[in-house]
Amino acid sequence: MATTATKSVNAKLVLLGDVGAGKSSLVLRFVKGQFIDFQESTIGAAFFSQTIAVNDATVKFEIWDTAGQERYHSLAPMYYRGAAAAIVVYDITNPISFTRAKKWVQELQAQGNTNMIMALAGNKSDLLDARKVTAEATQTYAEENNLFFMETSAKSATNVNEIFYEIAKRLPRAQPVQNPVGMVLMDRPVERTAGASCCS
Amino acid sequence: MKAKNLSLITFEHKRDAYGFAVRPQHLQRYKEYANIYKEEEEERSDKWKDFLERQAESAELPIDGLSLEEDSSVVSGLETVISEQDDLESKTESKKSRNHNIQIWAQIRPSLAAIESMMSLHVNKKGQNPKAERDARNGDHLALIEEGKPTRGSVEEDSEEEFYDVERSDLVQDAASSDGSPRRVDHSSQLVSPELFFPWKEELECLVRGGVPMALRGELWQAFVGVRARRVENYYQDLLAAKDHDDKEELDVSPSNDSSNISNTNLKGATEKWKGQIEKDLPRTFPGHPALDEDGRNALRRLLTAYARHNPSVGYCQAMNFFAGLLLLLMPEENAFWTLMAIIDDYFDGYYSEEMIESQVDQLVFEELVHQRFPKLVNHLDYLGVQVAWVTGPWFLSIFVNMLPWESVLRVWDVLLFDGNRVMLFRSALAVMELYGPALVTTKDAGDAVTLLQSLAGSTFDSSQLVLTACMGYQAVNEAKLQELRNKHRPSVIAAMEERSRGVRAWKDSQGLACKLYSFKHDPQSILVDTNPTEGLGDVHANGEQHVSRTNNIDEFLNNMTGDGDADSVPDLKEQVVWLKVELCKLLEEKRSSILRAEELETALMEMVKQDNRRQLSARVEQLEHEVAELRQALADKQEQEHAMLQVLMRVEQEQKVTEDARLFAEQDAAAQKYAAHVLQEKYEEAMSTLAQMEKRAVMAETMLEATLQYQSGQVKALQPPSPSPRSGGNQEPMQEFPSRKVGLLSRPFGLGWRNKSPQGKTSNTEEPSDSKPNNDVVQAPSDLEKEMNGNENSEK
Repeated sequence: MATTATKSVNAKLVLLGDVGAGKSSLVLRFVKGQFIDFQESTIGAAFFSQTIAVNDATVKFEIWDTAGQERYHSLAPMYYRGAAAAIVVYDITNPISFTRAKKWVQELQAQGNTNMIMALAGNKSDLLDARKVTAEATQTYAEENNLFFMETSAKSATNVNEIFYEIAKRLPRAQPVQNPVGMVLMDRPVERTAGASCCS
Repeated sequence: MKAKNLSLITFEHKRDAYGFAVRPQHLQRYKEYANIYKEEEEERSDKWKDFLERQAESAELPIDGLSLEEDSSVVSGLETVISEQDDLESKTESKKSRNHNIQIWAQIRPSLAAIESMMSLHVNKKGQNPKAERDARNGDHLALIEEGKPTRGSVEEDSEEEFYDVERSDLVQDAASSDGSPRRVDHSSQLVSPELFFPWKEELECLVRGGVPMALRGELWQAFVGVRARRVENYYQDLLAAKDHDDKEELDVSPSNDSSNISNTNLKGATEKWKGQIEKDLPRTFPGHPALDEDGRNALRRLLTAYARHNPSVGYCQAMNFFAGLLLLLMPEENAFWTLMAIIDDYFDGYYSEEMIESQVDQLVFEELVHQRFPKLVNHLDYLGVQVAWVTGPWFLSIFVNMLPWESVLRVWDVLLFDGNRVMLFRSALAVMELYGPALVTTKDAGDAVTLLQSLAGSTFDSSQLVLTACMGYQAVNEAKLQELRNKHRPSVIAAMEERSRGVRAWKDSQGLACKLYSFKHDPQSILVDTNPTEGLGDVHANGEQHVSRTNNIDEFLNNMTGDGDADSVPDLKEQVVWLKVELCKLLEEKRSSILRAEELETALMEMVKQDNRRQLSARVEQLEHEVAELRQALADKQEQEHAMLQVLMRVEQEQKVTEDARLFAEQDAAAQKYAAHVLQEKYEEAMSTLAQMEKRAVMAETMLEATLQYQSGQVKALQPPSPSPRSGGNQEPMQEFPSRKVGLLSRPFGLGWRNKSPQGKTSNTEEPSDSKPNNDVVQAPSDLEKEMNGNENSEK
């Protein structure tokens, strides 16, 4: 029995996207299961962490939720550099935010970090009536750019956990088993008390 | 005013005394500190009252009747507001109904005039440039605005009084008691000489560091930033009017705009961009704050839009919404505008502009400072892959709003606004690092470190400790030094920015902030800066100081040498030597730092191992699992044993059965043998009895034989004396011989019996002579006996 501790992976994840696309709300939903109608504007960036279990491993997400305003763009590289995954968020009711998302994708691709997993999240999917960006168009775009795409809603909790799980599944599990988390005890007493053997 | 009053009302448990939301995880601690805050507040109210009274007395100026109530309002403001909440609320209601233009601006209370004058001097002295700059920068629309108004200086005096009369009266009435203290009216006299005329400046600084009373905060902040000196009459209103005009333009899209609207179209281009963003952020600014109702949001919108128009190079930047919101809680709208303008244009010039260059520069400067002050912490964070700027960047940009508890934020702002520069920002951040560095060193991964720092910073409720640590512990961090460091780091930021805008694949890893910082660290030039005399005494507590200073000295020396070399244009050899020496020093430096780092890592590891209860837990789990396995094994063994025992038992039982059977058999055997023995016994007895019979018969036969013999002998005697008859003689001899022989044979075993019985036989024989026949029988008898005897013997056998 006694299987040794499951593999644990730390993954830095960064959320990028236009102002008010719902980056903070997505994180808040994922990390705390909450939703606030008026999430305070993020200044600079905010950090969260959340651990989930995927298959046989646990993934600890170190999430950097960046500020959406364009001028904070200059600070973003500090946060997305070295990230294992990125979620580019746009608002399906706001085409400008989709344009901005494409720019983010471009910028991330320009980094040349081919290992980075990129997800595209069309947030606010609960606001179907106000939809301005079709899922089909985005899907095509996502396929062309090798992203995986989901429409999410932080408000109704649709696809929020799913998108993070999907990212977790795609993380290179083959991260060298370098740092053995949870030390394996070498001095386990091997001699099992020889079962008092009975007369045959 | 309205906002201010509201902010002081005590709110439900999830909001603090300022009406700001308290995070649920901090509620407990906030409650603990609420009383301390209250005590501190009372204490500082007294101090400030005392200070202001002495101020007024030392001024020795003609008493202004109005001032009677002023000072008391300063002190009692807080109490009054708290005790007369309902009263105030009703008053704010009434205020709301008034014309908006009136309450949009208010002069601060006269008792603070001295402070204001001093601070304004400060503004005028170094603030003259921004004002002129602003004129030049926004020349087009400012010119337009200035059309309709006279020169600034003179108007200010007039307008003060006007606004004063309108608004002040309200506040004066709020104040209950009266305390006779003169008012300082003379502004012009103070304009002459700055610090010399304010011997109380140091005392004031102490007071500010101790905190500003809540009731005075709005006005003192205005005094600190020099709102009055900055204010341009009607400027704010004109900006807003331009906005209204804009809106109208939007509605009736009239292409035929003549020259008068040229500036407006320019404005429009600039503000249009921000409009949407401002609108988005309005409900996201202190959501749920009681003072930010519909009116509050409208004021916020106006304020932000006006600022965006005022300074299009900054426009609107997220974070400003929080500053504006905070200011609106403390002062009237226009006052808030001028304060915001002072903060963004002056204190944080270049911070929130499109490129945010100064913000990035400050982060590099701060990283360098942290590296100097907390080498161990930085090493640990480096090891975890955490950049200090990840966390401190947002601190600086938000000036700690939402990053620290509100009491601490306000206390930092007090000092910051008083200082007139961003030094307090650095000092506070350094203080936070000092307070929480030891805890950070124990973290095990980047996520934990950042989370811990964030949450610890968010629970810095001891605002006095924070401010004191910041101001006292980091006096060496002063504006001059910061400027120097900024100048050092700025080129790299600008270069990176240019490179990025040029479209060169920008952020290669080598251009990251950290890397830049690193290269600076290893740049001998920066080490030269380290030895800068401005650093002073406060520096001494840094770890590894001795090493640093030693290597620094060498570096300095070498650098001087290089300097000389350059000046004299020396031969290559010398340059090479110098270069080699520099290299050597660099290597030494690297070695030193790596040794330091190694030590650091070692201690960190020790602490990690000590603190790592996860490992302990996993060890424990292993142990328990092992125990469980053992127990299972034991259980299995036991079962096995039991099984075996059962088998044994069964076997024993079987054997028992077998033995029982055997016993039964044995018993049966025994019975059979007994029976056989019995039978044998019987046979034996039978045989014995037959033997006895036979004996008897033998005796009988003997006796008979004897009798016969006697008879025969008797006859012989009788016959011998007459003449023996031939006939009888002839027969008698052989017969005589034969029995005698026979007797001989028989007499041996039965001789005794025969002899004993012979007398009887003799006697009985004597009675038989008449019978000759029995003789024959007797003769026959022995043979029968013999036969019988033989037969018995046979059967016996």
